[in-house]
Amino acid sequence: MEFLSRTQIILALGAVGLALFVLELVRSRRLSEEYSLLWVVASTAVAVLGFTTPLLRGITRALGILYETSTVFALGLAFTTVMLLFNSVKLSRLSHENRQLTRELAFLRLALEEQGAVTQTPSDGGGGA
Amino acid sequence: MSKASVLVVVPAFNEEESLAATLDELARTTRADVLVVDDGSRDHTSGIARQHDVHVLRHAVNLGVGAALQTGFRYALERGYDIAVQLDADGQHDPAYLESLVEPVASGAADVAIGSRYVARTGYRAPRARRLGMVVFSTIVRLGIGRRIADTTSGFRAYGRAVMEVCQHDFPQDFPDAPLLITLARMGFRTCEVPVEMRERGAGRSFYTLGKSLYYPYKNVLASLMALLRRSA
Repeated sequence: MEFLSRTQIILALGAVGLALFVLELVRSRRLSEEYSLLWVVASTAVAVLGFTTPLLRGITRALGILYETSTVFALGLAFTTVMLLFNSVKLSRLSHENRQLTRELAFLRLALEEQGAVTQTPSDGGGGA
Repeated sequence: MSKASVLVVVPAFNEEESLAATLDELARTTRADVLVVDDGSRDHTSGIARQHDVHVLRHAVNLGVGAALQTGFRYALERGYDIAVQLDADGQHDPAYLESLVEPVASGAADVAIGSRYVARTGYRAPRARRLGMVVFSTIVRLGIGRRIADTTSGFRAYGRAVMEVCQHDFPQDFPDAPLLITLARMGFRTCEVPVEMRERGAGRSFYTLGKSLYYPYKNVLASLMALLRRSA
């Protein structure tokens, strides 16, 4: 049985903690299930790698890395990069949708103005732009 | 001017200082309808526009000049205009050239007419950098479409209906310059250049802040290359 280095244990426990926190965010509806998936998978992977030295060692050797800990960090960094890229893609799509909605709103408001429906009384407390 | 119905689209973002003068000048020089697209201004741009005999569309948030132009195109399409002319709110574009700009599009000689500045301006903030940029984008466009367009950064342009329709789907949101020209040329639209003289900005800040002046070349080069790589539908 290989012994676990202190770093490995800290990483593994941290990963378990992160996974639990992510699940808590989903439970309290602050994170949607869709976005939680990657986080749960990644933190589980780190935890598994942290606790199973042979697997970690195998991967480390296969990648040509000297220290196991570096492998964990490298994988973590790779994950972070993927996650950021994923977020940028999502953000681009959201901006695109935001443009559509803003434009739609402008035309709807114009239609209302032309009917004389707005600029009269802000009855529902919405107020002007 | 021929029988084609023309809509002058004025994208405006925080242009309360210069908009009134621009709209007054337009009212004096042309009978074409005018649409001001207030792109989420924080000042009285919309209010000033509404004091004039123009149509006003207001974006609730700032989307960028390209998006404002696209909104103008949609308005033009929905209301049956044949041609839309982009004219900046800051007074750079002289409405006296409207007629000559519209003419090639109205006669069917071109789908897009670009108001091309041929007179070197003085006192421009970054003339050398700007000139370098114009050369670079001109070269990219020439390599891309095999034809020279001298003034790829001019925002003073007339667009025909078919172009406006295409632009509803695929359009650069922030700076509709070189990438747009490449995209349109590859779709088979014909562009032509009409000589115009441009003036200094009437008032307000120039749109080219430091951050944007660094981002602009990057974005336009990348978007131009992407426009070249995309298969035209």
